[in-house]
Formats: sequence, structure tokens, C-alpha cells
Amino acid sequence: MIDVALLLHIFLTFVKIGAIAFGGAYAAIPLVEQGVVEGAGFMEYSEFADLIALDEITPGPILINSATFVGMKVAGVPGGIAATLGCILVPCIVAITLLFLFRKYKETTLVQSTVLTLKCMALALIASTMVKLATNALVPDVTHVDLVHVGYVMAIMCVAFYLMHWKKLSPLPVMLGCGVLNVVVNMLLGV
Amino acid sequence: MADKARGEEGLLGRLLALFLATFTISATANSGYAIIAVMRDDFVNKRKWFTEEEMNDYIAIVQSCPGPMAVTSSMIVGYQSAGFLGSMAAVLGVITPPFAVMAIVTLFYQAIVSNPYVDIFMRGMQMGVVAMLLDICIGLFRDATKKSIVYPLVIMVLSFLYVRLTSFSIMWLAFGCGAIGAVKALLIKKEVEAND
Repeated sequence: MIDVALLLHIFLTFVKIGAIAFGGAYAAIPLVEQGVVEGAGFMEYSEFADLIALDEITPGPILINSATFVGMKVAGVPGGIAATLGCILVPCIVAITLLFLFRKYKETTLVQSTVLTLKCMALALIASTMVKLATNALVPDVTHVDLVHVGYVMAIMCVAFYLMHWKKLSPLPVMLGCGVLNVVVNMLLGV
Repeated sequence: MADKARGEEGLLGRLLALFLATFTISATANSGYAIIAVMRDDFVNKRKWFTEEEMNDYIAIVQSCPGPMAVTSSMIVGYQSAGFLGSMAAVLGVITPPFAVMAIVTLFYQAIVSNPYVDIFMRGMQMGVVAMLLDICIGLFRDATKKSIVYPLVIMVLSFLYVRLTSFSIMWLAFGCGAIGAVKALLIKKEVEAND
């Protein structure tokens, strides 16, 4: 029997999380923790820690993965669907509203100037994520800097950049190639 | 631009292309930025549904929305390509793979988490992601500094410092940047009027 009240509770919990989830994947994790573990009490902290590990290795947006995981744990497949739809509701409405405003007023100085400023902000946000990821990849262990490893990672990054930026290859195969290459190199050198 | 191109392929063909594109990207990539990079490659370079500049406008809009970037960018790109049905097709494409994968993975996660090769593969992918982000940044930089360089540069540096050094919500940054842009537009307007 489907528990409608519980599904609604899951749905609304994730509507709230989705509405305030600004700032990309890494910002979403603490919001889910707050809403699900502390707020609604849907799961224990240890289960939440499993969720973070799963997010790291599964494809797709972290918020969607989290919603599916939590919803399924609490109320099976209907719960997963309720949570997923909940977390995308507000973002979709905001996105389409902004797009309409943009299309209607894009010739005005006001909108052009605002969008230009937001573009600069977008660049800063992306650059910040890039710095975080690059540091993590170059120096995984802060207490010990391995120069050979730094060189190896730099080389792969440069080749990947060359292929995407100048050779205009699609980013997806390049990224998958980097993953496969790393596995092969590690196998040859014996981890 | 987008309207003109819309006539060349049937609506169904567009919906299918949108669904397949977002489905494939979402099934393989781990980040919202990847989805934007692949969309740019697919819709701008190959299919020519939008110009690079239009895509950059959408990136700016997406960054001002809450929620997963993959979903909001699919919503916007879908709408621009094929109207409301387009955004539904794109969003459906983007949420189906994580939903299905997560449902299965939830059952077997111990075995997956403890596999060392999965970890090494993910680390390798991360290097490619860094290169891809750099590519996006360069595109945005060229676009934003077309008319002047000082103002965009100041906003970029300040926003970067805000994200790196403070722990305040990105929401306030988005509101702040929106407000600064609006104020700047009003100042320009006054100046033009004063000159007239």
C-alpha cells in the first residue's frame, strides 16, 4: 500500500532542499544532510556517509542521486520518484522564468549588463571548482608532494586540454579516455 | 537563430536528439559542468542549434539558478531547441540514468565502493574534468571581455575570492552580481542622457 502522506513528506523535504541548493554539487551535500538526517530524520548519519561514497562513484548530478537513494530507502521506488521530482521542481521553475525574462528583455542595457556580470560570476565559480579538483588531483596527500605524480597528472591534463580546445574533440570520450589511461598506467606500474 | 534552425529538423527528431544527448551525458558524466561542455560540443559545434555566445548566456542563467546544473541547463537548452516539450524531453533524459543507476547501485554498493580500480578510474576522469573546465573558462572569458576588460575582470576576481575565502551561500553572490549589473546599467543610462 502506498503511503501518500509519507510520499508527500519526502517530496516537500526535497522541494526545500532543491530550492536553496545554490553553488553546484559540493554545496548540495550539506543541504541534504541538514534536510534529511537532522530535519526529517529519514536516515542515520552512517547511512548518509554511505550516500556520499555512492555519489562519488555514480554518474549524474549529486542532488538527484541523493534524492533517489534517500527516497528509495524510506519508501521504495515511489519514494525515489517523489524525492527526485521534488528536488528539481523549484530549479526548473526558476530556470524557465529567468530564460523568459532574458528572451523578452535581452536587448535592454539592464539585462545585458546583468547577464555580463553573471557570466563573470559563472567563470569564477567554474574556476574555483577547477582549482579544487586540480589541487586534489596533483597533490592527493598534502603531507607528501610526489613530483613524478605531479608531472604525470600535468601531462595528462595538458593532453586532454589540447584535444578538447584545439582538436575540438568531444569532452566525454576525452574524460573517459583519461579514466581508462589512469587504470592502465596503474596496472602496468603495479599498485 | 534558433527559430530559423528549428524548421530544418522535425520536432520529434529534435526531442529525440535532446533526450538522447542529455541521457548519454548524464549516464557517463559526474558533474553539471561536463553536461554543459558536452551540450556546447553537440548543440553548438555539431548541430549548430545555437551560437557559442547564446550558449554562454545560458551558462550565466544556469549559474544563477538553484539546483543541479545538469537539470537547469537541460531545461533551458531543451526549451530553446524545441519549446516546452523540448525541456521536458531533456530533463527526463537527464534524470533517468542517475535514477536507474542509483536504484541498482543501492543494492550492491559495498562491492562497488571497495573496488580499487573504480577509484583509480574516477581519479583519471578527474584530470580530464580539469582540462574541460579550463576550456569552458577560456570560452567564457573571451566572451565576457569582448567590449571592455576592467569591469569583467574585477567581478571575476571578487567572485572568485568570495567563493574561495568565504563560506556564505552562492545565492547571495548571484543576487549581488545581478544587482551590481543592474546598477551599472542604470549608471550607463544616466551618462548617455547627460551627454544628450
